[in-house]
Amino acid sequence: MNGNFEIDDIDVSIIAELREDGRASNQQIASKLGLTAATVSARIKRMEDADKLRVVAVSDFSAHGYNLLIQVAVEVDGRASSEVAADLAKLPEVFAVHQVTGRYDIDMLIAVRDYDELKHVMLERLAGIRGIRSMLPAIATAIPKYKFDVAPIEARDAS
Amino acid sequence: MSQVQIDELDRQLIDILSKDARISNRKIAADLGVTEGTVRGRIRRLQNDRLIAFTAITSFELADNTKMAFIGVQADFGRVNEIADTIAKLPAIDAVMITMGRFNIQAFCLFSELDRLHEIASEEILSIDGVHHVESSIAVKTLKYNARIVKITDS
Repeated sequence: MNGNFEIDDIDVSIIAELREDGRASNQQIASKLGLTAATVSARIKRMEDADKLRVVAVSDFSAHGYNLLIQVAVEVDGRASSEVAADLAKLPEVFAVHQVTGRYDIDMLIAVRDYDELKHVMLERLAGIRGIRSMLPAIATAIPKYKFDVAPIEARDAS
Repeated sequence: MSQVQIDELDRQLIDILSKDARISNRKIAADLGVTEGTVRGRIRRLQNDRLIAFTAITSFELADNTKMAFIGVQADFGRVNEIADTIAKLPAIDAVMITMGRFNIQAFCLFSELDRLHEIASEEILSIDGVHHVESSIAVKTLKYNARIVKITDS
């Protein structure tokens, strides 16, 4: 995708409406912003087609049965941290993986249903990844906020 | 975190809507072989139970704040709830977890320049009464990240 994609104030205001309610109809958005439904529809389509925007349902951790969230700082030894991070990213229980600066090399978020699953992650999954020297876990006991408006957007499947 | 009961149809609905929320109830109903009323009712229930929310996600190319940082916070244990809520209200902060670990609060932010990260961590957060120490770590490369699964809150 080229880097020249531009959006204007109208696009920004349409995005703001969609952030509030992604299922608002084109007509509802149009009335609120003083546009026509056709304009709203075309604007949304242009941004979606360029893979700059997705209007989606986000779901709560609890809807997936993820009762246990653990943030883990990983210290890597004897292997490139990018390789360890790539291996970690393949694990379904690993929800997010970032290579980071600082005392630890990788920051990851593990999401599991219960401690049995955590045991599986530890003994069956992480044990098989070479280069993990140590891990510093932080168990999430409450989540006052966890929502990102910005994300890498993957191209739509051809369907 | 409480247990919730959702069935296979709910899961299918969430799956479809997490790809595209603007698909009509009629189309979803046809795809899943249920009535439009069922789809409407299920969506309303999932929304009311705060299991799903409809929103827009934009790509990093459209954003001003494209870098991510993790800010570990050590705060007074007795006031950790209140302090975490205060941090969650800062506009720059996208996620806050109360944690059991080396830090008792973990905050995530998106930022534009290093100056700005410093301002968020060492000015805005560190100046909150009851916060004793902050440590930031910057994501230099993100390999996996799911913006579709979130904590749905009132605000």
